[in-house]
Amino acid sequence: MNNRLLAKSQLSPSNQLYSAINLGLKSTAWVLVAIIALAPLLGVVIGLWPAVELDWAAISRFLGYNGLAYSVASTLLLSLVAPLIALYIAFMVYSRYRFNRRWQSLEKRLAPLLSLPHLAVALGLVYLFSSGGMLWSVLWGFIGQTAPEWLGLPRKSMLTMILAISIKEVPFFLLIFSAIGRQLAIKQWLLQGRALGYSENASWWLIVFPVVLKQSRLAVLAAMAYTLSVLDISLLIGPNIPELYAVVLYNWQTGFTPDEQTFAFLGNLLLIAMLGVLIACIYIHERLVTKQLANHAVMANPLNITWLSGVFTAWLGFFSLLTLAILATFLLWSLGWNTHSTFNTANWSISLWQDEWFFMQGPLLNSLHIAFFSSLLGVGVTLLALELQRHNKRYFPDYLWLLAILLPQLSMVYGWQIVHTSSNASYHSSWIILSHVPFTFAYSYLVLRGPFQSLNRHYELVAASFGYSPWQRWWKVRFMLLRPALLSAIAIAFSVSIAQYIPTLMIGAGRVATITTEAVAIASGNEQSITAVYILVQAALPFIAFLVASILAQRTRGSVDAEHQ
Amino acid sequence: MMWQTSKHANIRSRIGFFSSFSWANLALLFAVLLSVLSVSPVALGNSTLKETISELEASQQWQQTLKEARGQTVYFYAWGGSKPVNDYLRWAAREIASRYKVRLRHVKVADISEAVSRLKAEDGSKSAIDLLWVNGENFSYLKAQKLLLGKLPSAIPNTTLLATEQLSLHNDFGVPMEGYEVPWGVGQFNLIANQSLFSAKNPEQNSITPADILSAAERNPGRISYPRPPEFHGTTFLKQLLVALTDSDPRLFALATPNAQQQLLPALWHYLDKLHPIIWQNGSAFPSSNTEQLALFTQQQLDLAVSFNPNQMAKEQSEKRIASNAQRLFFDGGAITNSHNLAIPKGAQSPAGAKVVIHFLLSELAQKHKVDGSWGDPAVIRPLLDPASTLPAQQELHSSWQQVIEDTWQQKYGA
Amino acid sequence: MLSINNCQIQIEGGLITLPNITLEKGELLVITGPSGMGKSTFLHWILGDSIRHANISGEIMLNDVPLSGVNIEQRRIGLLMQDVHLFPHLNVLDNICFALPHRLKDEQGSKLSRPQRKDTAMQMLSKINMGYVAEHYSHQLSGGERSRVGLVRALANQPQALLMDEPFAALDPDTSANVSQWAFSQLHERGVPSIMVSHDLNNIPSQAQHLDLANYFQQV
Repeated sequence: MNNRLLAKSQLSPSNQLYSAINLGLKSTAWVLVAIIALAPLLGVVIGLWPAVELDWAAISRFLGYNGLAYSVASTLLLSLVAPLIALYIAFMVYSRYRFNRRWQSLEKRLAPLLSLPHLAVALGLVYLFSSGGMLWSVLWGFIGQTAPEWLGLPRKSMLTMILAISIKEVPFFLLIFSAIGRQLAIKQWLLQGRALGYSENASWWLIVFPVVLKQSRLAVLAAMAYTLSVLDISLLIGPNIPELYAVVLYNWQTGFTPDEQTFAFLGNLLLIAMLGVLIACIYIHERLVTKQLANHAVMANPLNITWLSGVFTAWLGFFSLLTLAILATFLLWSLGWNTHSTFNTANWSISLWQDEWFFMQGPLLNSLHIAFFSSLLGVGVTLLALELQRHNKRYFPDYLWLLAILLPQLSMVYGWQIVHTSSNASYHSSWIILSHVPFTFAYSYLVLRGPFQSLNRHYELVAASFGYSPWQRWWKVRFMLLRPALLSAIAIAFSVSIAQYIPTLMIGAGRVATITTEAVAIASGNEQSITAVYILVQAALPFIAFLVASILAQRTRGSVDAEHQ
Repeated sequence: MMWQTSKHANIRSRIGFFSSFSWANLALLFAVLLSVLSVSPVALGNSTLKETISELEASQQWQQTLKEARGQTVYFYAWGGSKPVNDYLRWAAREIASRYKVRLRHVKVADISEAVSRLKAEDGSKSAIDLLWVNGENFSYLKAQKLLLGKLPSAIPNTTLLATEQLSLHNDFGVPMEGYEVPWGVGQFNLIANQSLFSAKNPEQNSITPADILSAAERNPGRISYPRPPEFHGTTFLKQLLVALTDSDPRLFALATPNAQQQLLPALWHYLDKLHPIIWQNGSAFPSSNTEQLALFTQQQLDLAVSFNPNQMAKEQSEKRIASNAQRLFFDGGAITNSHNLAIPKGAQSPAGAKVVIHFLLSELAQKHKVDGSWGDPAVIRPLLDPASTLPAQQELHSSWQQVIEDTWQQKYGA
Repeated sequence: MLSINNCQIQIEGGLITLPNITLEKGELLVITGPSGMGKSTFLHWILGDSIRHANISGEIMLNDVPLSGVNIEQRRIGLLMQDVHLFPHLNVLDNICFALPHRLKDEQGSKLSRPQRKDTAMQMLSKINMGYVAEHYSHQLSGGERSRVGLVRALANQPQALLMDEPFAALDPDTSANVSQWAFSQLHERGVPSIMVSHDLNNIPSQAQHLDLANYFQQV
């Protein structure tokens, strides 16, 4: 539109002014978008700026820190294994549900399932399955016995971490696959494969998986980067001899002796190096797997083992059951259950809720207030970024926009904190909102880019031919068609903000309490009943957001994508 | 109590010096009088104390402080991992709000060193922190870096109530407080054990030695543990062992020189090398905090829990969370006793409010509620001193030993 | 030989009663008709795919084996669609190898190794002078090349019958004429009975059977 105006050889003064304002607005918009998108990178760079004296003695002390190698190795292992397990499970679930009647119910439930916070899943697994956990008490309670001590998931271990993270990442990958899958002619490929004599399951793996894997690189990186840097879950259910790397690094970052400061700086470098290792692993894994599958394809291997995928037909039922069990566990604990209870002897009371409700209001309001603004801002900036790119007819590669979820949170927030403290800024919740925006932006970009790009511009062309101005076309056609996707994006951004821990803790200096920071502080005190209260509230918030979004979405009709059977 | 007996000894030796019959009678009378007085310190002191306080409160300085404090919000950085403490602070916040119109906000930190490093990063300028709950190496660092507001006792009337002499509240881990912090409560390290654990001992005797712990672990493998250092309960457990194993070597109460470390620490590591293989998870994992260990204890996964609060076991028993026949034990040479304190950063934005909060927390009402409520932390003010509930005390080690023990433990057992 | 008997297609608005169809080896049947009449659906039904928008009943016999209840993987019927759908992550050679039967054996009766399979596929390409596209990927091919490769791939599977759904409709008239003529001669040579749905009646061989669904449509 701009270019058309400028191309005219004669520009009247009012047109000149108009185009000048337009240019100014556009540049400001670009600057704003660039700041939000590049803030993570800025944070990492600032955090890596050497602020301490470095000499070989310090470096060798750092390298000699007992348990460092083990911490690093176990964290790398966790970050590699858990997301990949989730990826494979998600693919198998996707293959069983996609062209099935059940797909509708899965897709509808996907976003809310995604909204269950990591913390709730992690603690829920422990409260349910650890020795003395709810499941065993109830099962053994039926026969009037107490469950044996050795039975159960360890409370703090690698296994528990792997389980918690892989269970939680499966819905995330399903969402990604669903978006990727819309652009691919999967149905036809499968038909072709079956016509050539391959079973449906084998066709999924031989034909669809290599393509989908290649397009999932960023999603896998996001999951790995998250696992690398996750602090709250590592603190609560991670092993502690030695601790996971995020905990070690955070302890250094919050320490005050000169040694700890040096270690924090070197530790940050190490974290980025670990991220590099993970990126390399992603490529290596992709190479290996696609090569293997291509070999199988050339040999026309019927891949009989793929019948295993069939197991995952039950996944939705299993996952929903698990979610309900976790929520039920928290509810029962909050109402008075403890390790010695059975259903007959437990004394139920809502006193805990009554007591805590008064004190919960502050953090709750903070959470809501922060999530509301940061999600709206994040989605708004996303739309801005997408529009600007559309005007330029050139879309930057995704990884530039998704930096906030591709880089480790500990490093980038550390850098932001340095800027924040040295500029003597206040601790008002506005700064927290700003610190959440890069993340809400990244997630909503992830969700909106596909629908936005695939929106047929012919709709707007037709509207233009009817005489609608650019703004009117944007509002009445593009925006309205995007509405379902927008609602989804807002709900996701909202839950992302609710669950944020590191930014709220570090930028707010602990002064701004949200439901999540309170929940982690209380969970570290190991009192399960009151922890359960806070976790339930934390889990309810995103759920409510999705409920609202889906109700609103049902009242709108829009196109989320191209043909979608 | 330790301090009273030493006083007695002093006086008796002086009187013995004259050593004539009438003097002896007088001495006996004097001694009896003194004992009576020592048992009821409240009697004489109270009325004059109250007068002093009212005078101070009426002073212009304090009235000025009160006026400035009205409407301020005080951000109190304090450990948030204990529900009784959190509940107590909520009660205190309500009281302070209604009495002084000051809003107290409890910022729950996982470890107070987070607050210390924040203060360091702020470097004395406008601070996020108005009041902090601190002691030991954290205090000594802040004091050395001149990040704390001084002359607190003269600015806060209720500090007159402090039982500084009786409870030896001048030093914090060997570092003189010198007015940069004010004691809030007292901690005495003790162990809570299942009755069966130390059954070999005489049930009346409630002090134990490292050897007792080792034999208990041998009889009950996998049922004992301690919080992973550098969590402060865990470190203190190690300190108690060190004191016992080196027979209270005096070098532990002075700066930790490399020589002293070399000579004294190996005893501890030899002991732990014997202990770790027979404790919970064979020493490959430790509870991350005393609250986690207590949770494991209540869930009957462990037979031993640790605490700094000598009243904790009674509180837990009254809530029916632990068995009524559980035992409270302390180390033979005395329970390591320290005070936990309140300090105000130099850059605090609401220093007047912070002083008012300290004033309230030292008041008789607040200290009584602290002892009687679910927290049970012992009082530090004279009107509420209760010698019966205090354990025999062992002085804290010098703060420099803390880092040394933590670092070496990490090197030896941290992975 | 492929035979379809007693076939009825029930669509919204009417019923199509087909005559009995018999295709000997190498014969071609072309199906035409207005859009919405269910031509593609009919093909999918023969393939064994689950179908919507219509109810089709009938008996299919392929080389004296009834196909009712047999699923797609086992019917040995090939499919060539308009978009061809060469698998994007495999090059042309690997696409063809993918179609070569698993149990392909050489003259001695032992299973072919990987290099041998690739050679076989290469030979198929070279025979039609298309060896030069062997390492190319689907997006690098022209429309005509893609269609030819699609047919080669379908034939590599040694199907007993072949279904084609407007396979040359997207090509320009000249290419379409060339490729279709070449395709029909290949099918005839190999003796594969085929059914093709098409709108273009200009390029079909004279001996092909022709079925216009509109002729058998009865409005209900």
